[in-house]
Amino acid sequence: MSLIEAKDITLSAQIGTVSVDVLRRITFSLEKGETLGLVGESGAGKSMIGRLFSQLLPPGFAVSSGTLTFDGLDLINLSAAKRRQLLGKRIAFVPQEPMTALNPVLSIGSQFNEHLQRLGVRGASRRRELAIQNLADVHLPEPKSLLGKYPHQLSGGMCQRVLIAMAFAGDPAFVVADEPTTALDVMTQARIMALIAEMQQLHGTAMVLITHDLRLAAHVCDNILVMYAGDVVERGEAANLLADPRHPYTRSLKRANPTLSGKRMLLPTLPDQMPGLIEFANLAGCRFSSRCPVNADDCRGGDPTMLKIDNGNEVLCVPACASGARDTIQVEAPPAPTASGTEAPLIELKNVSRRFVSRGKWFAGGSSVDAVRNVSLSIHQGEFVGIVGESGSGKTTVARMITGLDQPTEGQILVRGTDSTVQSAEARHERLETLQMIFQDPQSALNPRRMVESLLAQAMEADHRNHSKAERAARVSELLSEIGMPPDSRRRFPSQLSGGQRQRINIGRALCVAPKVLVADEIVSGLDVSVQAQILNLLLRLRAELDISLLLISHDLSVVRYICSRVLVMHQGVVVESGPTEKIFADPQHNYTRTLLAAVPPDDASAPWPPKYEAVEAA
Amino acid sequence: MNALAWKIYRLPPALRSGRVLIGGAIVLTIAVIAIFAPWLAPNDPQEQDLFGNLLPPSWDPLGDPKYPLGTDSLGRCILSQLFYGARVAMIVAIVASTGAMVIGVTLAHIAGYFGGWIDSLITRLVDLWMSFPPVVLSLILMLGLGVGVSNVILAIILVDWTRFCRVVRSDVLVVRQRDYISAAHLLGFGHFRTLTREVLPSVMPLIITMMTLEMGIAIVVEAILSFVGMSVEADVSAWGVMVADARQYMYQSAWGLIFPVLAITITVLGFNLLGDGLRRTLDPRLRQQRHTAA
Repeated sequence: MSLIEAKDITLSAQIGTVSVDVLRRITFSLEKGETLGLVGESGAGKSMIGRLFSQLLPPGFAVSSGTLTFDGLDLINLSAAKRRQLLGKRIAFVPQEPMTALNPVLSIGSQFNEHLQRLGVRGASRRRELAIQNLADVHLPEPKSLLGKYPHQLSGGMCQRVLIAMAFAGDPAFVVADEPTTALDVMTQARIMALIAEMQQLHGTAMVLITHDLRLAAHVCDNILVMYAGDVVERGEAANLLADPRHPYTRSLKRANPTLSGKRMLLPTLPDQMPGLIEFANLAGCRFSSRCPVNADDCRGGDPTMLKIDNGNEVLCVPACASGARDTIQVEAPPAPTASGTEAPLIELKNVSRRFVSRGKWFAGGSSVDAVRNVSLSIHQGEFVGIVGESGSGKTTVARMITGLDQPTEGQILVRGTDSTVQSAEARHERLETLQMIFQDPQSALNPRRMVESLLAQAMEADHRNHSKAERAARVSELLSEIGMPPDSRRRFPSQLSGGQRQRINIGRALCVAPKVLVADEIVSGLDVSVQAQILNLLLRLRAELDISLLLISHDLSVVRYICSRVLVMHQGVVVESGPTEKIFADPQHNYTRTLLAAVPPDDASAPWPPKYEAVEAA
Repeated sequence: MNALAWKIYRLPPALRSGRVLIGGAIVLTIAVIAIFAPWLAPNDPQEQDLFGNLLPPSWDPLGDPKYPLGTDSLGRCILSQLFYGARVAMIVAIVASTGAMVIGVTLAHIAGYFGGWIDSLITRLVDLWMSFPPVVLSLILMLGLGVGVSNVILAIILVDWTRFCRVVRSDVLVVRQRDYISAAHLLGFGHFRTLTREVLPSVMPLIITMMTLEMGIAIVVEAILSFVGMSVEADVSAWGVMVADARQYMYQSAWGLIFPVLAITITVLGFNLLGDGLRRTLDPRLRQQRHTAA
């Protein structure tokens, strides 16, 4: 008998007067020490499976059929008291947002103490010893002094390690990790995944890993379930599933993610997005069919069944698709945009530094941090340039200085030859006409009280451009078609749009005054891969149509490889390496670049990843 | 969903709250009475009927149908005085709260948006101002300014602008951190345009809520000041004056005291219900939750 056994679980939700199946016929099993990956985009229902184990379901959600057992215990009908005996002790959880999972007003020590108390460890000094031991196990430096610290004094990666230490403190038989690295950058992700693998081996723990990253799952898990709209659409052995996916959704999920090596293929995009819960009720038969690139006659009507196919995978589809007979053709992507002319650069940074000085309190002296040191960079017309680095490397500060939201302490920024660091009306004007910024978080970057049409034409309200209503309305229509939004969206508020649509509006607003250069700060990091692919292709199309330049700031190396012809690698405020993207990614010279590239889960599922813990830590 | 529920759903969110509906109805009624007092009042509020003084309401066997709510010690019609008193109350409520709002909100925007020394200066001024007990401050102001409704309004503005300034400033500080403020700068917006087009609309719900509550406060302050004879002239009807007059005869006839006190209580209750309801429906945090849930 397996440790975890899930059979035909259907989870139903009551929304208003409609009842929808949030999960349909979920079946899987998990042996001791094994790892199962649940992969899918937001809204696929993967987190709901995670919640089944704790039975912390949202109000109105209930399991309508099927069974879920843990070590022979029926988890669905277990009494609350018995479940409390299990949770935290034999079943542990690693949460998605490490910063919010820890109580900000309690020290790490007292939170650990409380946790151990609940696990039934007697004696305060014994608990203290154990806590120090556990924190040392997750490679946290100076675990003794860490006990007195508060969550805000630690980085996101350190908080996640504390939570992992707590999860494994009770020597659990089973761990649910819900997107444990989504909020962290690549380097920290590699460290955390290496750590989880190490802890799992140490304790012989079984794990369910919930993630949106198919490549990550393929490297860490034994088996993978790919989820779409509450269905398991494909399941199989992890490496095989990444190498030879058969369901059209799994394929598009894999191909929507740009690769780090090999040929750059054009990212195929699916229309629309994952349907919302309410729409589930109207999706008869195959829930993917409306977005499916194949969508043949024999797909529609009737429920698809799970088919066992020749390569060992199981696919929820029609036989022709499952056998791989109907694959869409992939096209090689055109080379990343390079400079379109030979004129002088539009933007030029000359030895720019930014130092942040914090004033001391009373008699203590102040301290200073060099966020950016001696950065030089130029962007030509039509060129797409990327800056990569982990969080805290100074890449956002560079973007803010270029756009004039921050001033360098040393060095020069030239915008079309005009020194932008000089405070003058001329410099400001030159900057406003040349540059626009696309912000990271569209939620915060779009005024919630403006409608789409008002947001898009906002620049035309500015002091020095006085445009009539008719001119604005005409420009809004142009912009809507440029960014691929339906014309009827003009009277919507940002809260009525999806994340991808908001990011489109964000781009459209920046395009309004026809700038020469767009500065984009992590604009795809909060999006699902299929939406990310849509946005990246949109940027490439805009380059072809409008001949704009782009400075893309990202921690995602594969995104940079897909659209940038030149790249700068930043580490602790310094550019450690720069040059043509293909050359740097194929043959990195600097040690840091090599570590950064090694931290990304490789495209080839058979390549070893994550790197051994010591190897990552050394960087 | 039945037809009625659907209709309620289609209303703007603010109007779906019971508090807003009840409070709004009370405030609207009082406002209509104040505007149309000359047509609605059965008698001239200042006309004395010395043979019919201290009459009980008309439903009492001793009452006179000419005076629906009875008369005061000089035989003036209580209902008519209440109606005319509503005019003073509403004028003070609207003008004083608007004045306090304009000063407070302007300074709050300057302080919260620009920060730095100007922020410390305004914040310190507000702290200093708020350290005076408000009643003492308004009485001192009234002694200095002299009696009269316009000076009552001025006193309320000078005492209560700090309330707006402090609360709105903290909201401006939060909005200032949003990326859409940086975006507006990059789109070529000057400071003034950014403040009026981006910041002000974002803090507007808070301002509306605070103004509603401030109107209730202004009515109470006006009643207190007219009770001690510092507000209106003797020949103008005001609720505070009515309470003061009726106080001496409360053992002979309590009606003259009960009705103006009820009028003040109901009006302030109306404003508070409205303000509380608006706060619940317009609060950005509560609204955000609704959006994510949807």
